Amino acid sequence: MVKKNKLIKDFYELKVSQLMDKRVWDLPLIEEKEDIHHVLSILGARNHIWVIKNRDSKELVGVITEHDVLSILAPKHFPSYVFGMPDVRSIQHGTANTAGDVMANKIIMCEPDEKIIDALMKMVKFKLRRLPVVKDKNIVGELTLHQLIRKYYSATQYHPILEDEEG
Amino acid sequence: MISTEDLFNILLLIAIALIFARVLGFLFYKLKQPAVIGEIIAGIILGGIAVFAFSGQNFIFFDYILSTPNLSKLFQSSEFILFAEIGILFLLFISGLETSISKLKKTEKASSFVAVGGVILPLILGFLSGFVLGFSVVESVVIGLILTATSVGVTVRTLMDLNVLNTDVGSTILGGAVIDDVIGIILLTFALGIGSLIDAVWIGIRIAIFFLVFLYIGLKVIDKVLVIGEKLLLPKSFLSITLAILLLYSFFADEAGISGIIGAFVAGILIGQNVRSKKIIDDVKAIGYGFFIPIFFVSVGLSLWSNASIEIASYGTILIFIVMIISMSIVGKVVGCGIGAKLSGLSNIESLQVGVGMIPRMELALIIVTAAISHGILTGQVAYTILLTTIILTIVTSLIAPFLIKATFKNYK
Repeated sequence: MVKKNKLIKDFYELKVSQLMDKRVWDLPLIEEKEDIHHVLSILGARNHIWVIKNRDSKELVGVITEHDVLSILAPKHFPSYVFGMPDVRSIQHGTANTAGDVMANKIIMCEPDEKIIDALMKMVKFKLRRLPVVKDKNIVGELTLHQLIRKYYSATQYHPILEDEEG
Repeated sequence: MISTEDLFNILLLIAIALIFARVLGFLFYKLKQPAVIGEIIAGIILGGIAVFAFSGQNFIFFDYILSTPNLSKLFQSSEFILFAEIGILFLLFISGLETSISKLKKTEKASSFVAVGGVILPLILGFLSGFVLGFSVVESVVIGLILTATSVGVTVRTLMDLNVLNTDVGSTILGGAVIDDVIGIILLTFALGIGSLIDAVWIGIRIAIFFLVFLYIGLKVIDKVLVIGEKLLLPKSFLSITLAILLLYSFFADEAGISGIIGAFVAGILIGQNVRSKKIIDDVKAIGYGFFIPIFFVSVGLSLWSNASIEIASYGTILIFIVMIISMSIVGKVVGCGIGAKLSGLSNIESLQVGVGMIPRMELALIIVTAAISHGILTGQVAYTILLTTIILTIVTSLIAPFLIKATFKNYK
């Protein structure tokens, strides 16, 4: 029991950079100005897409999840009781044409030097399963709950947590 | 201190108000009309029932005397009005939360032109109408202000039905309506404190200071404040801190001599820009849309009954005033926004479509007239006349706009 307690404490103290997926080339990335159909083609295979300003800088500007696409794919129901700036994005009405139109631009992110415990707490508070890892505004990797579960479980089976650097 | 009996009578009234609001709101929604109209009419009906059947009379059935509570008095009580006033704060706070500064920055030239044109001309026409009909300068300014802000909900639904939301006209209207709301709120602040030209300059300085201190500096420190809220590990403590910020901003705006509602709007913009707002926006909407905001709209309808001492003869003058204001509201937006659209490069027919799409008025017009009454700018029969006119204006413009929009899009591709 003591050993397991120590293991989870060590796990919490690790840095995000030690457990994140660093294969940026393999992440679902799309440029802000790319067509909505490209978004749909990626989401056919993935659960989310990170939206970047352009391929050179990889500055993270948004995220698109299946849920974002659901709201533009379903027939638009504009509530009769709404105030302020209305959300009119819809494929049916031609008001969602690019990745930038669909993305959520308030992104919960983490930094490579953050501790795993802080990243986990963000996932809990904001009910998220994945976080982009961002350095100087640019996406440098991704931390998913799936990865964290896999790493922790493998550590409980007497495998070193950091044996596989590539995630 | 409120007595237990009064307290529970007011709670009963709020329950009745919420039920009436939602039932009539739903009926109007089913009729494809704005639910808000149903809620205002709920207030008018409730007020009528209160005045005619529950004014504290005694009904005698043979030997049995039935005493009814004085509902009309309770509807005008400060406790009931407090809930309605909080409803206004929530309405503006939610509007602020939904306003994206980055989207406003990207607003195209056409929307800005349309918004400015659609504020200036209705303001002038409304002011002149009031002044010509014998209202004072400040009262006329309020009349002008009521005509400035567009309610875009009706237009968006109509453009969606016509499948033309993705046109230049659609995007111009959407952008223009957001900007004219912001201009309307700022101008209202001027109107509430204005007494002379020097006052106007002084209020302008105070608005600028308020925006600088509470918006600019707020943007710098809000994240740290919200982090503290997050660290209070109690249920919904983050929401509590957010609501405290809303109320504090309203308080400080009022203390600064500008309207408390501008504080609520600024607090909304400020928190809406923060990434943590994702956590509370649904909770805030649940409290606002589910409780306080319907009470505000019901109270607008109810307040029509608060001044029942109008002479029958004056209704002729009021009718002329109503017809004049509705005409000016339509002409002001069609011509004002139309000129703005034309100057930004849209064609004649597109400019007309934009102008017609900007006709509907609703929540901000009602907020402006309510704020002017509660600040004592509009009193007595003048308050009644302008309130009645505003309610009819909101209903008429919301009802006719879809027909006019459809007419301008007929045979247009």
